Amino acid sequence: MLRSKLAPATPRPARRAATRFFGTVLFAAAFLCSHQAASAEETAIHIHLVAAADGAISALTQEEATQIFLGRRTSLGNGTPVTLIDLPPGEERNLLYLTLTGKNPVQVKAYWSRLVFSGRVRPPLEAANQTEAREWLAKNPNAIGYLPASVTDPKLKTLLTLP
Amino acid sequence: MNHLPRAALPLLLALLVASPPLRAEAPPFQFSGFATLGMVATGQSDVRFIRPSINHPGAENPDFGPDTVIGVQGNIAIGPNANAVVQFTSRENALGSHEPSANLAFIAYRPTPNLTVRAGRYRVPFFMLSDTIDINYANPWIRPPTEVYSLNPFTYLDGVDLLYHTSIGGVNIEIHPYFGNTILSIYQGGNSHLDSARGLNITATTEHLTLFAGHAETNFALKWSGDDFLMLSSLLHATTPNANAILNDLSGNKGFSTFSALGAQWDDGKWLLIGEYSRLTSRRYTHDAHAWEVTAGRHFGNWLPYITLARHTEDSPVTSGRSPVPQVDGFLRAFTAARNLSQRSVTLGTRWDFYRNAALKLEFNHARISGDSWGSFFARDPMNARMQDRSINTIGASVDVTF
Repeated sequence: MLRSKLAPATPRPARRAATRFFGTVLFAAAFLCSHQAASAEETAIHIHLVAAADGAISALTQEEATQIFLGRRTSLGNGTPVTLIDLPPGEERNLLYLTLTGKNPVQVKAYWSRLVFSGRVRPPLEAANQTEAREWLAKNPNAIGYLPASVTDPKLKTLLTLP
Repeated sequence: MNHLPRAALPLLLALLVASPPLRAEAPPFQFSGFATLGMVATGQSDVRFIRPSINHPGAENPDFGPDTVIGVQGNIAIGPNANAVVQFTSRENALGSHEPSANLAFIAYRPTPNLTVRAGRYRVPFFMLSDTIDINYANPWIRPPTEVYSLNPFTYLDGVDLLYHTSIGGVNIEIHPYFGNTILSIYQGGNSHLDSARGLNITATTEHLTLFAGHAETNFALKWSGDDFLMLSSLLHATTPNANAILNDLSGNKGFSTFSALGAQWDDGKWLLIGEYSRLTSRRYTHDAHAWEVTAGRHFGNWLPYITLARHTEDSPVTSGRSPVPQVDGFLRAFTAARNLSQRSVTLGTRWDFYRNAALKLEFNHARISGDSWGSFFARDPMNARMQDRSINTIGASVDVTF
């Protein structure tokens, strides 16, 4: 369909600039990947969805949870608005999204970036760690979050345990 | 622009590894952002790649102007059913400036769980991927295919829109009517308005499939004030009996345009397929045109190689008027050719998600400019440009991040 062949190489200054650019990027990528690989280890965990023990949310179906964690709903069937609390990037978060939405971390990030930067959906609040997530969940009656099923907290109640 | 990459890369890397301080309570304010450091190089020294009416024709090769962008966004909760969003973006604009501009600045209110009313500034929603035109991390390509996405260079509307969500048999449906106005400064002087732009988009989404249909109508004004237009105007008046009729085809405030788009996207985690068709009709000031693109990609872990075919076709020119003086007629035809974006292209590219919020993209594009057009290229010497029916290769590389 398109008849001309590959163009000649770009002019020399362009080539030098492109080489520097790629070199810098690949070095940074290699560094960041090795850093990421060192911190990730597979362990068998289960996740449960939780909310404040005395909060406004008393029940949640897996279908509702999927819709909420995909940003397609911001409230429950009875009209109760929901605030999402995310754990920081890591095994628990990856497992939660994979189980509920079928998406891997890269797909989840790209998907949510489409929603967030369109301004349509408020991004989940990202806690720095599980302790902070538990504090936020306990204090916010409309918040839904997730924790390893092994973690229990008298201020929180389990809405749903994921398989 | 050449100083920008050196300054931007350390900043982007710092943002990648930054971690927030501990807070006792969930914050009502959220800050987020996105950025792209991108370069594009053309294989021929007398032309430069350009995103028509979006960025300034550059002299550099490679050029960091067309794709490099940074945006920051604040999201403030106002009670459980309302929030405010402000997003500022800095990118090279048609005037060559990087002055930040607000592309989102609205208050959203949800009177019912299914309905959101937004008032203020929001993205012009003419395309399937309008919301993410600048958020390159959200797209597979370095930039959405220019053949399709150059049909509308406007970035925002000031007005009101509604987002209504419902679900039918497991299919999520969004109905999106909108109304607003906007203005755009143009290269070499002048500006363009959309007044009382109104339209309706319908989007249906299942787990893997998204279907989009949209239609818009708008009053349209385009006022050229650059040296080349003023020279053309005086030459036509001096030599051409129907000069006023020709100039009224090119510039004024009595235009009316319609814009329609159909799109589909499939992503099952293994295959990515995207297709979009759009069509512009205009009573005056810009040509009638249609465009399409199809993309097929395959996920291999964090790699996504893809191929895109795209075509932009002029359906009718801005003006059919001619000058009896060959030199003036040549100038008139060159003026309209520079604003005709007809071309077809094939793009081979790959995306590599090398970090949880960062992607590297590489692209090779082979474009063939059609007939009386400049396509998505700009001649460094416009008065002596020979653009018609040329084939031009470009290579591009970018790093996209969100934070």
